[in-house]
Amino acid sequence: MQSRDRYRIALLSAYAIALHGFESLLPTPIPWLRLGLANIITLVALLLYGFRTAMMVTLIRIIIASIFRGTFLGPAFILSFGGGVSSTIAMGLAYKISRNLFGPVGLSLIGAVSHNIAQLALAYVLFIQRIEAVLIISPVILLIGTLSGVTNGLVSDFLIRNILKKDGDKFQDLARE
Amino acid sequence: MRRRALKEDLRLKKIIKNITLADWTLLLVLLVVSVAGIFITKEALPRGTDVTIEINGEPAYTFPLNVDRTIPVSGSYGDTLIEIKEGRVRIREAHCPNRICVKQGWVSKGVIICLPNKILVIVGSGGGDKPGKEIDAVTG
Repeated sequence: MQSRDRYRIALLSAYAIALHGFESLLPTPIPWLRLGLANIITLVALLLYGFRTAMMVTLIRIIIASIFRGTFLGPAFILSFGGGVSSTIAMGLAYKISRNLFGPVGLSLIGAVSHNIAQLALAYVLFIQRIEAVLIISPVILLIGTLSGVTNGLVSDFLIRNILKKDGDKFQDLARE
Repeated sequence: MRRRALKEDLRLKKIIKNITLADWTLLLVLLVVSVAGIFITKEALPRGTDVTIEINGEPAYTFPLNVDRTIPVSGSYGDTLIEIKEGRVRIREAHCPNRICVKQGWVSKGVIICLPNKILVIVGSGGGDKPGKEIDAVTG
């Protein structure tokens, strides 16, 4: 790993942790409503620097943020970890398999949905174990996830566009527009 | 100022243009599935299993919802007939002024309230448990 990569990962992780922390300060009407703002950084990292960077940033973000919030290795951490890792893997796979099929919005949606599915499955296996409760709640979570996924996708698209416009020469292989 | 606004507008258009057909399809499918899912689970799942009748705010009787029967309950306006049939419950006869409770018809979940008679018919699932109580265990 070059020092440039390390610098990049550290910077992106710092952004992601800041967004993650900011999001947990926002009051939400329902406890499970999370915007997934940090996913914006994961998506930008994935599209600009590749899967390895995105995964590193996600792992660092989840672990550091949970240590700050005192939930490290607790139930909230397990849900957060499972959701984050599976959404990064899903977005990475979707991007690799279909390079031009999905734009940032579609990738963000894929990430959001797999995040939700992984969390619901983990919550069911580890904590709730009542299939009715999970079934009742999953469409609501899916709807919220879809809406926040679209928003995050649009923001990521905007960010990526601006970065490419500003330092486009650094991303020769990516500037496909 | 105007030029700037125009520039922002153009930028927004460009972003929307960057949403591919696959993105739109995925978004549409997800929206339809989740909204349909909300309605389906609302209809199918939180159905009660028994009926609790409260008189003057105190639970008086509890009956299973799957056994058909008719129960006379006396209140301030004479006898009120509560009927349980095929997993649903209604107030068949009441002598209160408005008979809102009778007009409400058959219910398989929720509550029928007869205010003048101070009768409450609650469809629940065992031990006064509200369905979906433990949902808030899901947090991220």
